[in-house]
Amino acid sequence: MSILETRDLTMTYGIKTPFEKTAVCGIDLTFEKGDLVGIIGHTGSGKSTLMQMLNGLLKPTAGQVLLDGTDIWADPKNIRSVRFRVGLVFQYPEHQLFEETCYRDIAFGPKNMGLSEEEIDTRVRVAASYVDLDPELLQKSPFDLSGGEKRRVAIAGVLAMRPEILILDEPTAGLDPKGRDTILNQIRAYRDENDATVLLVSHSMEDVARIADKVLVLDHGQVAMYDTTEAVFSRAEELSSLGLSVPAVTRIFMGLRAKGLPVGGNAYTVEQAVSALLPHLRKGGDADAV
Amino acid sequence: MLSELTIGQFFPGRSPLHRMDPRVKLVVIFTYIVLIFVPQNWLGLGLGLAFLLTGVLLSQLPVRLILRSLRPILFIVLITSVLNILYIDSGTVLLQWGWLKITTGGISNAVFIALRIVALIVGSSLLTYTTSPTTLTDAMERLMSPLRVIRINVHEIAMMMTIALRFIPTLMEETDKIMSAQKARGADLESGNLLQRVRALVPILIPLLVSSFRRAADLATAMECRCYHGGDGRTRMKQLHVRRSDVCYLLATAALLAAMILCNLLLPSALI
Repeated sequence: MSILETRDLTMTYGIKTPFEKTAVCGIDLTFEKGDLVGIIGHTGSGKSTLMQMLNGLLKPTAGQVLLDGTDIWADPKNIRSVRFRVGLVFQYPEHQLFEETCYRDIAFGPKNMGLSEEEIDTRVRVAASYVDLDPELLQKSPFDLSGGEKRRVAIAGVLAMRPEILILDEPTAGLDPKGRDTILNQIRAYRDENDATVLLVSHSMEDVARIADKVLVLDHGQVAMYDTTEAVFSRAEELSSLGLSVPAVTRIFMGLRAKGLPVGGNAYTVEQAVSALLPHLRKGGDADAV
Repeated sequence: MLSELTIGQFFPGRSPLHRMDPRVKLVVIFTYIVLIFVPQNWLGLGLGLAFLLTGVLLSQLPVRLILRSLRPILFIVLITSVLNILYIDSGTVLLQWGWLKITTGGISNAVFIALRIVALIVGSSLLTYTTSPTTLTDAMERLMSPLRVIRINVHEIAMMMTIALRFIPTLMEETDKIMSAQKARGADLESGNLLQRVRALVPILIPLLVSSFRRAADLATAMECRCYHGGDGRTRMKQLHVRRSDVCYLLATAALLAAMILCNLLLPSALI
Protein backbone atom coordinates (compact mmCIF):
# COMPACT_ATOMS: atom_id res chain seq x y z
CA MET A 1 0.00 0.00 0.00
CA SER A 2 1.31 3.41 -0.87
CA ILE A 3 1.97 5.72 2.04
CA LEU A 4 0.23 8.77 0.63
CA GLU A 5 -2.52 8.84 -1.90
CA THR A 6 -4.93 11.44 -3.21
CA ARG A 7 -8.27 10.67 -4.73
CA ASP A 8 -9.98 13.21 -6.95
CA LEU A 9 -8.48 15.94 -4.78
CA THR A 10 -10.02 19.33 -5.51
CA MET A 11 -9.72 22.73 -3.93
CA THR A 12 -11.87 25.65 -4.94
CA TYR A 13 -11.38 29.01 -3.28
CA GLY A 14 -14.13 31.54 -2.74
CA ILE A 15 -17.03 29.26 -3.64
CA LYS A 16 -20.16 31.17 -4.63
CA THR A 17 -18.37 34.51 -4.87
CA PRO A 18 -17.27 36.32 -8.03
CA PHE A 19 -13.70 35.34 -7.11
CA GLU A 20 -14.32 31.59 -7.29
CA LYS A 21 -11.17 29.84 -8.45
CA THR A 22 -10.28 26.18 -8.65
CA ALA A 23 -6.64 25.85 -7.65
CA VAL A 24 -6.41 22.09 -7.68
CA CYS A 25 -8.74 20.04 -9.82
CA GLY A 26 -9.38 16.33 -9.37
CA ILE A 27 -5.84 15.12 -8.68
CA ASP A 28 -5.20 11.39 -8.26
CA LEU A 29 -1.68 10.62 -7.10
CA THR A 30 0.21 7.96 -5.20
CA PHE A 31 3.48 8.36 -3.38
CA GLU A 32 5.40 5.29 -2.27
CA LYS A 33 7.52 4.97 0.84
CA GLY A 34 11.03 6.22 0.13
CA ASP A 35 10.07 8.19 -2.97
CA LEU A 36 11.89 11.44 -3.59
CA VAL A 37 9.58 13.39 -5.86
CA GLY A 38 10.32 16.77 -7.39
CA ILE A 39 7.22 18.90 -7.95
CA ILE A 40 7.43 21.51 -10.67
CA GLY A 41 4.94 23.81 -12.29
CA HIS A 42 4.85 27.51 -13.00
CA THR A 43 3.42 30.05 -10.57
CA GLY A 44 -0.26 29.46 -9.94
CA SER A 45 -0.24 25.83 -11.03
CA GLY A 46 -1.55 24.70 -7.64
CA LYS A 47 1.69 23.51 -6.05
CA SER A 48 1.26 25.27 -2.70
CA THR A 49 -2.41 24.40 -2.46
CA LEU A 50 -1.65 20.74 -3.11
CA MET A 51 1.14 20.76 -0.51
CA GLN A 52 -1.04 22.29 2.14
CA MET A 53 -3.81 19.81 1.50
CA LEU A 54 -1.43 16.88 1.86
CA ASN A 55 -0.74 17.72 5.51
CA GLY A 56 -4.19 18.94 6.41
CA LEU A 57 -3.54 22.68 6.59
CA LEU A 58 -6.17 23.15 3.93
CA LYS A 59 -9.28 21.05 3.79
CA PRO A 60 -10.08 19.96 0.25
CA THR A 61 -13.46 21.03 -1.10
CA ALA A 62 -13.78 17.60 -2.71
CA GLY A 63 -11.85 14.36 -2.77
CA GLN A 64 -9.60 12.73 -0.21
CA VAL A 65 -6.04 12.54 1.02
CA LEU A 66 -5.24 9.03 2.21
CA LEU A 67 -2.36 8.60 4.62
CA ASP A 68 -1.59 4.89 5.05
CA GLY A 69 -4.96 4.20 3.54
CA THR A 70 -7.05 6.32 5.92
CA ASP A 71 -8.66 9.64 5.04
CA ILE A 72 -6.87 12.35 7.02
CA TRP A 73 -10.12 14.24 7.52
CA ALA A 74 -11.99 11.17 8.80
CA ASP A 75 -11.61 12.61 12.28
CA PRO A 76 -10.95 16.37 12.12
CA LYS A 77 -9.82 16.36 15.77
CA ASN A 78 -6.91 14.19 14.75
CA ILE A 79 -5.57 16.54 12.13
CA ARG A 80 -2.65 17.62 14.30
CA SER A 81 -1.24 14.11 14.38
CA VAL A 82 -1.39 14.11 10.57
CA ARG A 83 0.71 17.27 10.55
CA PHE A 84 3.34 15.54 12.69
CA ARG A 85 3.54 12.67 10.23
CA VAL A 86 3.55 14.86 7.13
CA GLY A 87 6.12 17.57 7.82
CA LEU A 88 5.82 20.72 5.76
CA VAL A 89 8.66 23.20 5.30
CA PHE A 90 7.34 26.44 3.88
CA GLN A 91 9.17 28.77 1.56
CA TYR A 92 11.58 31.01 3.47
CA PRO A 93 11.06 28.94 6.62
CA GLU A 94 13.53 31.18 8.51
CA HIS A 95 10.74 33.75 8.72
CA GLN A 96 8.90 31.58 11.22
CA LEU A 97 11.69 31.43 13.85
CA PHE A 98 10.59 32.92 17.13
CA GLU A 99 12.31 31.37 20.15
CA GLU A 100 15.16 32.78 22.19
CA THR A 101 17.53 30.00 21.23
CA CYS A 102 17.81 27.75 18.21
CA TYR A 103 17.50 24.77 20.51
CA ARG A 104 14.10 25.87 21.76
CA ASP A 105 12.93 26.71 18.27
CA ILE A 106 13.81 23.27 16.95
CA ALA A 107 12.13 21.78 20.04
CA PHE A 108 8.83 23.57 19.31
CA GLY A 109 7.47 20.80 17.06
CA PRO A 110 8.48 17.85 19.27
CA LYS A 111 7.15 19.71 22.32
CA ASN A 112 3.79 20.10 20.60
CA MET A 113 3.83 16.36 20.03
CA GLY A 114 3.95 15.92 23.80
CA LEU A 115 7.23 13.99 23.90
CA SER A 116 9.36 13.56 27.01
CA GLU A 117 12.25 15.94 27.74
CA GLU A 118 14.91 13.33 26.90
CA GLU A 119 13.18 12.38 23.67
CA ILE A 120 12.95 16.06 22.71
CA ASP A 121 16.63 16.53 23.49
CA THR A 122 17.69 13.60 21.30
CA ARG A 123 15.45 14.70 18.49
CA VAL A 124 16.74 18.27 18.54
CA ARG A 125 20.35 17.11 18.46
CA VAL A 126 19.74 14.55 15.72
CA ALA A 127 17.81 17.09 13.64
CA ALA A 128 20.59 19.65 14.10
CA SER A 129 23.14 17.12 12.90
CA TYR A 130 21.04 16.38 9.80
CA VAL A 131 21.26 19.99 8.75
CA ASP A 132 24.93 20.17 9.73
CA LEU A 133 24.33 22.74 12.42
CA ASP A 134 27.20 23.44 14.78
CA PRO A 135 26.09 22.28 18.30
CA GLU A 136 27.42 25.57 19.68
CA LEU A 137 24.86 27.46 17.62
CA LEU A 138 22.03 25.67 19.41
CA GLN A 139 22.29 27.99 22.38
CA LYS A 140 22.44 31.14 20.27
CA SER A 141 19.51 33.28 19.27
CA PRO A 142 18.25 32.32 15.81
CA PHE A 143 18.20 36.02 14.94
CA ASP A 144 21.99 36.24 15.28
CA LEU A 145 22.66 33.63 12.60
CA SER A 146 23.40 34.06 8.92
CA GLY A 147 20.65 33.52 6.35
CA GLY A 148 21.78 30.02 5.44
CA GLU A 149 22.11 28.99 9.08
CA LYS A 150 18.64 30.32 9.89
CA ARG A 151 17.20 28.31 7.02
CA ARG A 152 18.89 25.18 8.36
CA VAL A 153 17.57 25.77 11.87
CA ALA A 154 14.06 26.17 10.47
CA ILE A 155 14.31 22.97 8.44
CA ALA A 156 15.65 21.16 11.52
CA GLY A 157 12.52 22.36 13.34
CA VAL A 158 10.44 20.22 10.99
CA LEU A 159 12.90 17.30 10.81
CA ALA A 160 12.81 17.08 14.62
CA MET A 161 9.23 15.84 14.37
CA ARG A 162 10.62 12.91 12.31
CA PRO A 163 7.91 13.12 9.67
CA GLU A 164 7.42 10.03 7.53
CA ILE A 165 6.66 12.34 4.67
CA LEU A 166 8.62 15.53 4.26
CA ILE A 167 7.36 18.25 1.96
CA LEU A 168 9.61 21.21 1.19
CA ASP A 169 8.62 24.34 -0.70
CA GLU A 170 11.63 25.83 -2.50
CA PRO A 171 14.08 25.01 0.28
CA THR A 172 16.97 26.42 -1.72
CA ALA A 173 15.46 29.76 -2.80
CA GLY A 174 17.81 32.64 -2.21
CA LEU A 175 20.76 30.53 -1.06
CA ASP A 176 24.25 30.58 -2.53
CA PRO A 177 25.39 27.48 -4.50
CA LYS A 178 27.19 26.02 -1.51
CA GLY A 179 24.19 26.45 0.78
CA ARG A 180 22.00 24.91 -1.88
CA ASP A 181 24.21 21.85 -2.24
CA THR A 182 24.33 21.38 1.53
CA ILE A 183 20.57 21.47 1.93
CA LEU A 184 19.87 19.16 -1.01
CA ASN A 185 22.38 16.62 0.28
CA GLN A 186 20.86 16.78 3.74
CA ILE A 187 17.38 16.23 2.41
CA ARG A 188 18.56 13.16 0.57
CA ALA A 189 20.39 11.91 3.65
CA TYR A 190 17.22 12.26 5.72
CA ARG A 191 15.31 10.24 3.16
CA ASP A 192 17.98 7.52 2.98
CA GLU A 193 18.35 7.11 6.72
CA ASN A 194 14.68 7.19 7.65
CA ASP A 195 13.16 5.64 4.55
CA ALA A 196 11.00 8.74 4.43
CA THR A 197 9.07 10.04 1.46
CA VAL A 198 10.20 13.47 0.30
CA LEU A 199 8.31 15.87 -1.92
CA LEU A 200 10.39 18.79 -3.11
CA VAL A 201 8.71 21.77 -4.73
CA SER A 202 11.19 23.75 -6.76
CA HIS A 203 11.57 26.17 -9.59
CA SER A 204 15.09 24.99 -10.19
CA MET A 205 15.19 22.18 -12.73
CA GLU A 206 18.83 21.59 -11.76
CA ASP A 207 17.85 20.94 -8.13
CA VAL A 208 15.08 18.56 -9.13
CA ALA A 209 17.31 16.76 -11.61
CA ARG A 210 20.00 16.36 -8.97
CA ILE A 211 18.03 14.69 -6.24
CA ALA A 212 14.60 13.54 -7.41
CA ASP A 213 13.79 10.00 -8.54
CA LYS A 214 10.43 11.06 -9.89
CA VAL A 215 9.03 14.32 -11.12
CA LEU A 216 5.47 15.56 -10.87
CA VAL A 217 4.53 18.35 -13.24
CA LEU A 218 1.47 20.40 -12.38
CA ASP A 219 -0.36 22.68 -14.76
CA HIS A 220 -3.54 24.62 -14.05
CA GLY A 221 -4.28 22.50 -11.00
CA GLN A 222 -3.96 19.23 -12.85
CA VAL A 223 -1.27 16.60 -13.24
CA ALA A 224 0.51 17.19 -16.53
CA MET A 225 3.17 14.51 -16.04
CA TYR A 226 4.19 12.15 -13.26
CA ASP A 227 7.04 9.86 -14.14
CA THR A 228 10.72 9.14 -13.49
CA THR A 229 13.02 12.13 -13.69
CA GLU A 230 14.57 10.83 -16.88
CA ALA A 231 11.26 10.30 -18.59
CA VAL A 232 9.95 13.74 -17.66
CA PHE A 233 13.04 15.63 -18.74
CA SER A 234 13.12 13.80 -22.04
CA ARG A 235 9.88 15.58 -22.93
CA ALA A 236 11.56 18.96 -23.23
CA GLU A 237 9.17 20.42 -25.76
CA GLU A 238 6.07 19.61 -23.76
CA LEU A 239 7.71 21.10 -20.69
CA SER A 240 8.49 24.35 -22.43
CA SER A 241 4.93 24.56 -23.72
CA LEU A 242 3.90 24.48 -20.04
CA GLY A 243 6.19 27.41 -19.32
CA LEU A 244 8.86 25.16 -17.78
CA SER A 245 12.27 24.15 -18.96
CA VAL A 246 14.72 21.29 -18.70
CA PRO A 247 18.05 21.48 -16.87
CA ALA A 248 20.75 23.46 -18.67
CA VAL A 249 22.80 20.31 -19.21
CA THR A 250 19.91 18.62 -20.98
CA ARG A 251 19.52 21.66 -23.20
CA ILE A 252 23.22 21.48 -24.15
CA PHE A 253 22.84 17.83 -25.03
CA MET A 254 19.82 18.55 -27.17
CA GLY A 255 21.79 21.28 -28.91
CA LEU A 256 24.71 18.95 -29.54
CA ARG A 257 22.44 16.36 -31.05
CA ALA A 258 20.77 18.97 -33.22
CA LYS A 259 24.24 19.82 -34.54
CA GLY A 260 24.68 16.17 -35.47
CA LEU A 261 27.05 15.05 -32.72
CA PRO A 262 26.49 11.45 -31.76
CA VAL A 263 25.90 11.93 -28.03
CA GLY A 264 23.54 9.22 -26.93
CA GLY A 265 21.08 9.06 -24.12
CA ASN A 266 19.75 11.86 -22.03
CA ALA A 267 21.73 13.74 -19.47
CA TYR A 268 20.11 15.88 -16.84
CA THR A 269 22.92 16.20 -14.30
CA VAL A 270 26.49 17.34 -14.78
CA GLU A 271 27.80 13.91 -13.69
CA GLN A 272 25.76 12.13 -16.34
CA ALA A 273 26.89 14.64 -18.91
CA VAL A 274 30.52 14.07 -18.03
CA SER A 275 30.25 10.32 -18.33
CA ALA A 276 28.37 10.63 -21.61
CA LEU A 277 30.87 13.07 -23.11
CA LEU A 278 34.17 11.62 -21.89
CA PRO A 279 34.25 8.71 -24.39
CA HIS A 280 33.79 11.21 -27.22
CA LEU A 281 36.56 13.44 -25.92
CA ARG A 282 38.93 10.51 -25.54
CA LYS A 283 38.45 9.76 -29.23
CA GLY A 284 39.77 13.26 -29.85
CA GLY A 285 39.38 14.97 -33.18
CA ASP A 286 35.93 16.28 -33.87
CA ALA A 287 34.84 16.11 -30.28
CA ASP A 288 37.35 18.81 -29.31
CA ALA A 289 34.80 21.25 -30.55
CA VAL A 290 32.52 20.07 -27.76
CA MET B 1 -3.78 48.23 -6.81
CA LEU B 2 -5.92 45.19 -6.24
CA SER B 3 -4.80 44.95 -2.64
CA GLU B 4 -6.16 48.41 -2.00
CA LEU B 5 -9.64 47.09 -2.62
CA THR B 6 -9.44 44.48 0.06
CA ILE B 7 -9.13 46.97 2.88
CA GLY B 8 -11.47 49.71 3.98
CA GLN B 9 -14.71 49.66 2.11
CA PHE B 10 -13.85 51.60 -1.01
CA PHE B 11 -16.30 50.76 -3.78
CA PRO B 12 -14.79 51.94 -7.06
CA GLY B 13 -16.98 53.89 -9.42
CA ARG B 14 -17.25 57.01 -11.54
CA SER B 15 -20.22 58.74 -9.96
CA PRO B 16 -20.25 62.51 -9.27
CA LEU B 17 -19.47 61.73 -5.64
CA HIS B 18 -16.48 59.58 -6.63
CA ARG B 19 -15.13 62.33 -8.83
CA MET B 20 -15.65 65.08 -6.28
CA ASP B 21 -12.44 66.68 -5.11
CA PRO B 22 -11.52 64.64 -2.01
CA ARG B 23 -10.71 67.78 -0.01
CA VAL B 24 -14.13 69.22 -0.75
CA LYS B 25 -15.71 65.86 0.01
CA LEU B 26 -13.96 65.72 3.38
CA VAL B 27 -15.05 69.24 4.26
CA VAL B 28 -18.62 68.65 3.12
CA ILE B 29 -19.01 65.38 4.97
CA PHE B 30 -17.37 66.61 8.17
CA THR B 31 -19.59 69.68 8.13
CA TYR B 32 -22.57 67.44 7.48
CA ILE B 33 -21.67 65.25 10.47
CA VAL B 34 -21.64 68.28 12.71
CA LEU B 35 -24.75 69.66 11.07
CA ILE B 36 -26.80 66.57 11.74
CA PHE B 37 -26.61 67.46 15.46
CA VAL B 38 -27.80 71.02 14.93
CA PRO B 39 -31.52 70.63 14.15
CA GLN B 40 -33.90 70.65 17.09
CA ASN B 41 -37.06 70.12 15.11
CA TRP B 42 -38.46 67.90 12.38
CA LEU B 43 -38.12 70.37 9.54
CA GLY B 44 -34.42 70.87 10.23
CA LEU B 45 -33.81 67.12 10.42
CA GLY B 46 -35.85 66.67 7.25
CA LEU B 47 -33.54 69.09 5.44
CA GLY B 48 -30.54 67.12 6.66
CA LEU B 49 -32.07 63.85 5.47
CA ALA B 50 -32.92 65.36 2.09
CA PHE B 51 -29.29 66.47 1.77
CA LEU B 52 -28.16 62.96 2.63
CA LEU B 53 -30.55 61.40 0.14
CA THR B 54 -29.14 63.66 -2.59
CA GLY B 55 -25.68 62.42 -1.61
CA VAL B 56 -26.76 58.78 -1.76
CA LEU B 57 -28.31 59.31 -5.20
CA LEU B 58 -25.19 61.12 -6.42
CA SER B 59 -22.97 58.28 -5.18
CA GLN B 60 -24.83 55.72 -7.35
CA LEU B 61 -23.96 53.05 -4.82
CA PRO B 62 -26.10 49.91 -4.57
CA VAL B 63 -28.67 50.23 -1.81
CA ARG B 64 -27.67 46.98 -0.14
CA LEU B 65 -24.17 48.38 0.33
CA ILE B 66 -25.54 51.37 2.20
CA LEU B 67 -27.80 49.16 4.30
CA ARG B 68 -24.81 46.98 5.09
CA SER B 69 -23.01 49.96 6.63
CA LEU B 70 -25.88 50.20 9.11
CA ARG B 71 -25.63 46.65 10.34
CA PRO B 72 -22.94 47.23 13.00
CA ILE B 73 -24.87 50.07 14.62
CA LEU B 74 -28.31 48.46 14.51
CA PHE B 75 -27.92 47.38 18.11
CA ILE B 76 -26.99 50.86 19.34
CA VAL B 77 -29.94 52.38 17.50
CA LEU B 78 -32.29 49.83 19.06
CA ILE B 79 -30.98 50.38 22.60
CA THR B 80 -31.18 54.16 22.38
CA SER B 81 -34.68 53.98 20.95
CA VAL B 82 -35.91 51.66 23.67
CA LEU B 83 -34.36 53.81 26.39
CA ASN B 84 -35.89 56.94 24.91
CA ILE B 85 -39.31 55.38 24.64
CA LEU B 86 -39.23 54.14 28.22
CA TYR B 87 -37.72 57.12 29.98
CA ILE B 88 -39.29 60.11 28.31
CA ASP B 89 -42.57 61.06 29.83
CA SER B 90 -44.37 63.75 27.87
CA GLY B 91 -47.37 64.10 25.59
CA THR B 92 -50.26 61.68 25.69
CA VAL B 93 -49.85 58.37 27.42
CA LEU B 94 -50.36 55.54 24.96
CA LEU B 95 -49.68 52.57 27.18
CA GLN B 96 -49.09 52.13 30.86
CA TRP B 97 -47.92 49.02 32.65
CA GLY B 98 -46.84 49.48 36.25
CA TRP B 99 -44.23 52.22 36.27
CA LEU B 100 -43.53 51.72 32.57
CA LYS B 101 -45.15 54.35 30.43
CA ILE B 102 -45.03 54.83 26.70
CA THR B 103 -45.86 58.33 25.56
CA THR B 104 -46.11 60.06 22.19
CA GLY B 105 -43.24 62.33 23.26
CA GLY B 106 -41.06 59.29 23.95
CA ILE B 107 -41.77 57.76 20.58
CA SER B 108 -41.17 60.94 18.68
CA ASN B 109 -37.90 61.49 20.53
CA ALA B 110 -36.78 57.92 19.87
CA VAL B 111 -37.48 58.20 16.15
CA PHE B 112 -35.73 61.58 16.00
CA ILE B 113 -32.56 60.27 17.62
CA ALA B 114 -32.56 57.00 15.67
CA LEU B 115 -32.80 58.95 12.42
CA ARG B 116 -29.96 61.15 13.54
CA ILE B 117 -27.65 58.17 14.21
CA VAL B 118 -28.60 56.51 10.93
CA ALA B 119 -27.97 59.77 9.04
CA LEU B 120 -24.61 60.08 10.74
CA ILE B 121 -23.45 56.59 9.80
CA VAL B 122 -24.77 56.64 6.24
CA GLY B 123 -23.14 60.04 5.70
CA SER B 124 -19.74 58.96 6.91
CA SER B 125 -19.84 55.67 5.03
CA LEU B 126 -20.58 57.61 1.84
CA LEU B 127 -17.12 59.10 2.33
CA THR B 128 -15.34 55.78 2.81
CA TYR B 129 -17.31 54.05 0.05
CA THR B 130 -16.49 56.64 -2.57
CA THR B 131 -12.91 57.56 -1.65
CA SER B 132 -9.95 55.20 -1.71
CA PRO B 133 -7.84 55.23 1.46
CA THR B 134 -4.83 56.72 -0.31
CA THR B 135 -6.87 59.55 -1.81
CA LEU B 136 -8.31 60.17 1.61
CA THR B 137 -4.93 60.53 3.30
CA ASP B 138 -3.79 62.70 0.43
CA ALA B 139 -6.76 65.00 0.98
CA MET B 140 -6.12 65.07 4.72
CA GLU B 141 -2.52 66.06 4.13
CA ARG B 142 -3.58 69.05 2.01
CA LEU B 143 -6.30 70.12 4.39
CA MET B 144 -3.98 69.96 7.38
CA SER B 145 -1.10 71.72 5.64
CA PRO B 146 -1.75 75.02 7.48
CA LEU B 147 -0.67 73.16 10.64
CA ARG B 148 2.89 73.46 9.36
CA VAL B 149 2.86 76.90 10.92
CA ILE B 150 2.83 75.31 14.36
CA ARG B 151 5.60 72.92 13.30
CA ILE B 152 3.51 69.80 12.80
CA ASN B 153 4.95 67.78 9.94
CA VAL B 154 1.74 67.04 8.10
CA HIS B 155 3.49 65.32 5.22
CA GLU B 156 5.10 62.77 7.50
CA ILE B 157 1.84 61.99 9.24
CA ALA B 158 0.12 61.47 5.90
CA MET B 159 2.99 59.34 4.61
CA MET B 160 2.78 57.20 7.72
CA MET B 161 -0.93 56.69 7.21
CA THR B 162 -0.48 55.82 3.55
CA ILE B 163 2.26 53.30 4.32
CA ALA B 164 0.24 51.78 7.15
CA LEU B 165 -2.77 51.34 4.86
CA ARG B 166 -0.59 49.93 2.11
CA PHE B 167 0.89 47.30 4.42
CA ILE B 168 -2.29 46.02 6.03
CA PRO B 169 -2.96 43.44 3.29
CA THR B 170 0.72 42.51 3.13
CA LEU B 171 0.84 41.87 6.85
CA MET B 172 -2.39 39.91 6.74
CA GLU B 173 -0.89 37.66 4.10
CA GLU B 174 2.26 37.34 6.20
CA THR B 175 0.24 36.45 9.31
CA ASP B 176 -1.55 33.79 7.35
CA LYS B 177 1.72 32.28 6.17
CA ILE B 178 3.28 32.28 9.64
CA MET B 179 0.16 30.75 11.14
CA SER B 180 0.23 27.93 8.60
CA ALA B 181 3.93 27.36 9.21
CA GLN B 182 3.47 27.12 12.97
CA LYS B 183 0.40 24.93 12.59
CA ALA B 184 2.50 22.64 10.43
CA ARG B 185 4.75 22.28 13.47
CA GLY B 186 1.75 21.36 15.58
CA ALA B 187 0.93 24.74 17.09
CA ASP B 188 -2.54 24.57 18.55
CA LEU B 189 -4.32 27.88 18.06
CA GLU B 190 -7.90 26.81 18.46
CA SER B 191 -8.18 25.17 21.85
CA GLY B 192 -7.24 25.79 25.48
CA ASN B 193 -8.18 28.47 27.97
CA LEU B 194 -7.54 32.18 27.51
CA LEU B 195 -4.01 32.09 28.91
CA GLN B 196 -3.05 29.15 26.71
CA ARG B 197 -4.48 30.87 23.68
CA VAL B 198 -2.58 34.06 24.38
CA ARG B 199 0.59 32.02 24.79
CA ALA B 200 -0.09 30.25 21.53
CA LEU B 201 0.04 33.64 19.81
CA VAL B 202 3.70 34.22 20.72
CA PRO B 203 5.05 32.00 17.91
CA ILE B 204 2.99 34.09 15.50
CA LEU B 205 3.50 37.58 16.86
CA ILE B 206 7.28 37.43 17.18
CA PRO B 207 7.96 36.41 13.57
CA LEU B 208 5.38 38.97 12.47
CA LEU B 209 7.13 41.71 14.42
CA VAL B 210 10.51 40.67 13.07
CA SER B 211 9.22 40.68 9.53
CA SER B 212 7.59 44.11 9.99
CA PHE B 213 10.94 45.54 11.05
CA ARG B 214 12.60 43.86 8.10
CA ARG B 215 10.01 45.27 5.73
CA ALA B 216 10.31 48.72 7.27
CA ALA B 217 14.07 48.70 6.83
CA ASP B 218 13.76 47.51 3.24
CA LEU B 219 11.17 50.13 2.45
CA ALA B 220 13.28 52.88 4.00
CA THR B 221 16.26 51.83 1.90
CA ALA B 222 14.13 51.66 -1.24
CA MET B 223 12.70 55.13 -0.58
CA GLU B 224 16.11 56.60 0.07
CA CYS B 225 17.45 55.02 -3.09
CA ARG B 226 14.83 57.00 -4.94
CA CYS B 227 15.91 60.18 -3.17
CA TYR B 228 12.93 60.56 -0.88
CA HIS B 229 13.70 63.34 1.56
CA GLY B 230 10.36 64.33 3.04
CA GLY B 231 7.66 66.66 1.81
CA ASP B 232 9.60 69.80 0.92
CA GLY B 233 9.58 70.60 -2.75
CA ARG B 234 7.79 67.36 -3.70
CA THR B 235 5.49 67.56 -6.67
CA ARG B 236 2.50 65.31 -7.10
CA MET B 237 1.52 62.78 -9.67
CA LYS B 238 -2.20 63.38 -9.17
CA GLN B 239 -3.02 67.07 -9.04
CA LEU B 240 -6.26 67.94 -7.33
CA HIS B 241 -8.48 70.62 -8.84
CA VAL B 242 -11.48 72.26 -7.31
CA ARG B 243 -14.04 72.38 -10.11
CA ARG B 244 -17.21 74.37 -10.45
CA SER B 245 -19.32 71.45 -9.24
CA ASP B 246 -17.19 71.27 -6.11
CA VAL B 247 -17.92 74.92 -5.37
CA CYS B 248 -21.61 74.12 -5.77
CA TYR B 249 -21.37 71.32 -3.21
CA LEU B 250 -19.68 73.66 -0.75
CA LEU B 251 -22.34 76.32 -1.28
CA ALA B 252 -25.10 73.76 -0.85
CA THR B 253 -23.58 72.68 2.47
CA ALA B 254 -23.38 76.29 3.64
CA ALA B 255 -27.01 76.82 2.62
CA LEU B 256 -28.00 73.73 4.58
CA LEU B 257 -26.26 75.06 7.68
CA ALA B 258 -28.05 78.40 7.37
CA ALA B 259 -31.42 76.74 6.82
CA MET B 260 -31.00 74.49 9.85
CA ILE B 261 -30.08 77.39 12.12
CA LEU B 262 -33.07 79.32 10.83
CA CYS B 263 -35.35 76.38 11.57
CA ASN B 264 -34.01 76.22 15.10
CA LEU B 265 -34.62 79.92 15.64
CA LEU B 266 -38.07 80.11 14.12
CA LEU B 267 -39.65 76.80 15.10
CA PRO B 268 -40.12 75.34 18.57
CA SER B 269 -37.85 72.43 19.53
CA ALA B 270 -39.23 68.94 19.01
CA LEU B 271 -36.77 67.37 21.44
CA ILE B 272 -37.30 66.95 25.14
